[in-house]
Parts: sequence; structure tokens; C-alpha cells
Amino acid sequence: MGNARALVKRRKAIRNIRKITRTMELIATSRFKKAMDRAAEAAAYTRKINEIVADLSQSDLTFSHPLLEQPAETKNVTLLILTSNRGLCGGYNGGVLRKANAELKKMKSEGLDVTVDASGKRGISSLKFEGTSIETEFTQFEDKPSFEEVNEIADRYLADFVAGRTHRLVVAYQSFQSAARQSPVVETILPFGDLASNETSASGVDYEFLPSSEEILAEIVPAAFKARFFKCFLDAGVGEQIARMVAMKSATENADDMIKDLSMKYNRARQTQITSELSEIIGGAAALE
Amino acid sequence: MIAATEIRLVLVTPETTLLDQPVKGLRFPLFDGQIGVLPGRAPLVGRLGSGALKIDTDSGSETYFIDGGFAQIKGTVVTLLTNKAILASEIDASAAETDLQAALALVPTDDAGFAEKDQALARSRAMKNLGGR
Repeated sequence: MGNARALVKRRKAIRNIRKITRTMELIATSRFKKAMDRAAEAAAYTRKINEIVADLSQSDLTFSHPLLEQPAETKNVTLLILTSNRGLCGGYNGGVLRKANAELKKMKSEGLDVTVDASGKRGISSLKFEGTSIETEFTQFEDKPSFEEVNEIADRYLADFVAGRTHRLVVAYQSFQSAARQSPVVETILPFGDLASNETSASGVDYEFLPSSEEILAEIVPAAFKARFFKCFLDAGVGEQIARMVAMKSATENADDMIKDLSMKYNRARQTQITSELSEIIGGAAALE
Repeated sequence: MIAATEIRLVLVTPETTLLDQPVKGLRFPLFDGQIGVLPGRAPLVGRLGSGALKIDTDSGSETYFIDGGFAQIKGTVVTLLTNKAILASEIDASAAETDLQAALALVPTDDAGFAEKDQALARSRAMKNLGGR
């Protein structure tokens, strides 16, 4: 009987785990939808910014702004790594960290002075385990990063960059291409690169610029940077939920398989037991005759 | 060409599109003072200040607090890009007062600090005034 009992116990435990993974899958699905909606809504802001930039570019204006220019020397580099606070999301954190570590190694071999900032408990503990010293840790970002929180960090990086304390800002995160396709990437977001490189073409409208196109440009570059920076966080949030959804889906399926397998083993064990008991009884009865 | 008779207001923050509706007219703060926009306004791109955004619609008027950003007027569409937009009735006046006191207590030492203080003052004052109502 011992064997069959043990199997029942094991099956029960797996059923419980299945319940948990199934629930987590459902939660991740709903969170993913919400995060996705947020990301889609946030895209409107970026689109509008691009539109204004395109409009600015048609007025006689050279795009020069401290954020757009590569500093004369590149020595201090900041690497920001966006990971999740919670685990059980498959290869999400592993992927981002692998990419980030490769980048870190490369930058160090180039003789750069790298400052590492990390968001997410998972990434922080993994980096600490590897002996990477982390300058700033953020753990406040869950699946709904608010612009205000992200903005604070963006402001700090902007100030560092303008003051020349950082010469380059690199972000490692899970970029979102489509619901079925995300990949960990390492992106340089400061210096900002080419602001005017976007598909929106100028509208040909003759605008009145208040106060002037130069001043609008001076303001819009940081705004565009902040929007892009915020998008990194949003993408990371969406990526985390998708990764969790997929991981939990396969966990649930595996649990299903195991339950099936265990049920079969249990039934067999029970049948064997019944058979052996029967033959014992028959044997006993035969002995009495 | 027939003169435009209505305008469409699109209020966008980095997180979401708050408003996208036809309005009769609106007033909002530019960097140096209030501007009013009625149908048929010439195209404009401007920098926003902190203060009250007042919207007149068919069903009455609404007031929002907006905090910096950009305005774009193109054809019949007015787009306001702002970091923060709060409905005036949802502003916490006492929190704004605390912010104002904190801003007043700032002792800037350089140009950036002074600019920051001015901005913080303008923001918290506007918020306090709106929230008090």
C-alpha cells in the first residue's frame, strides 16, 4: 500500500502546484494586457514629439544640443540594467543579464570606467553574486512604472550627462517588438543620437514658434529623451509579463503531464495490490479445503 | 475656404492620452502667460508653462492643471503635450501648499538652482490656486 499512498500524495502536491502556476499564468495574462495598453498609449506621446521635431526641422535650424553630441572623450559610462523584482518568469532576467554582462566586459576591456545601476531585485542579487558593484539600486518598479518615478531617474541622468560626469548612458533591457517577439538589447540612449531620424515627414505647415524654434528645440530634446527612457521601462514591464505568461503556461502543461503519468502509475499500483490481495485470499481459501 | 467652426483638443501625457474631444475654445499657459485659442487659429508650436488649462465645451467648462510641455496647433487640432495633467477638482490643495513651502525654502546657489526654484514656485502656486477652488 505504501507505494500507492506515496503516489497519491505526490499527485496531490503537483495538483496544488498546477493551481498556482495556472493562476499565475492568468494573472500574468491580464497584467500583460494592461501593460501592453499602457505602452500603446504612451506611444502617442512619442509620436507627437516626433511630429514636432519634424516640423522644427523644416524651419532653418541646425540640430545642435548638448544631449545630441558625443562628448570629446568617452571615459565614464553608465550602464542601467532593467530586470524584474520577481522571479518565475523563465529566461527573462537571465537573457537581459547575459547581454548586460557581455556589454560590461566589453566596456571594461576598452578601459572605460563603468558605473552600473540596476533595477529589479533579481538583477541586483544576481549582479551581487557575480561580484559586480552596483552604484544605485531601484526596486520600486513593478509592472506599472509611473512616468513621475521614471522621470526622476531620467532627470538625474540628464544632469550627470550635461555636467560631464557621464559620457554615455547605456540601457540593457528586454525590448518589445511584438507580442510574440521580444529580445534583450543593449541600447545607447545618451548621447541621444539622431533626433530627426523618424518616418514622420514634415507637414509643410508654416508655424508660429513661441518663443522661438531654437528654444523649443532646447526643450524638446530632453522631452524626447525622457519619452524614450520611459519607453525602456514600459517595454521591460511588458516583456516581464509575457515571459511569465509563457513560463507559467509551460509549467502548467508540464504539471498536467505529470499528473497524468502519476495517475496511471497509481492506478497500476492499486490494481497490482488488488490482484495480489485477491490471489492471497484465493490461496488462503484453497489451503483450507 | 470656409472658416473653421470647431477645434479638437488632444491632451497627451507620457502615460496616456487624457482627452481627445471637440471643444469650442480653450485657454492654457504658455511659457510667458496665458493664451486663448478659438477655432481658426493660425498654426503654432509653443512651449507650455505651469498653470490652468480651461476648456469650453458644449456641456460646460472644465479646468485642468498642466505642468510644462509643448503645444502644437495645426489646422483644427490643438495638441498639448505635457508631463502632468490633473483635473482641477482632484488636486490636493494641502499637498500643494506643502510643496509651495518647500519651494520657498529652497536656497539656490547657481543659475540652474534659481531656474528650478522659479519653476517649482510657479508650479506649486498654480496648483494651490486651482486646488483651493
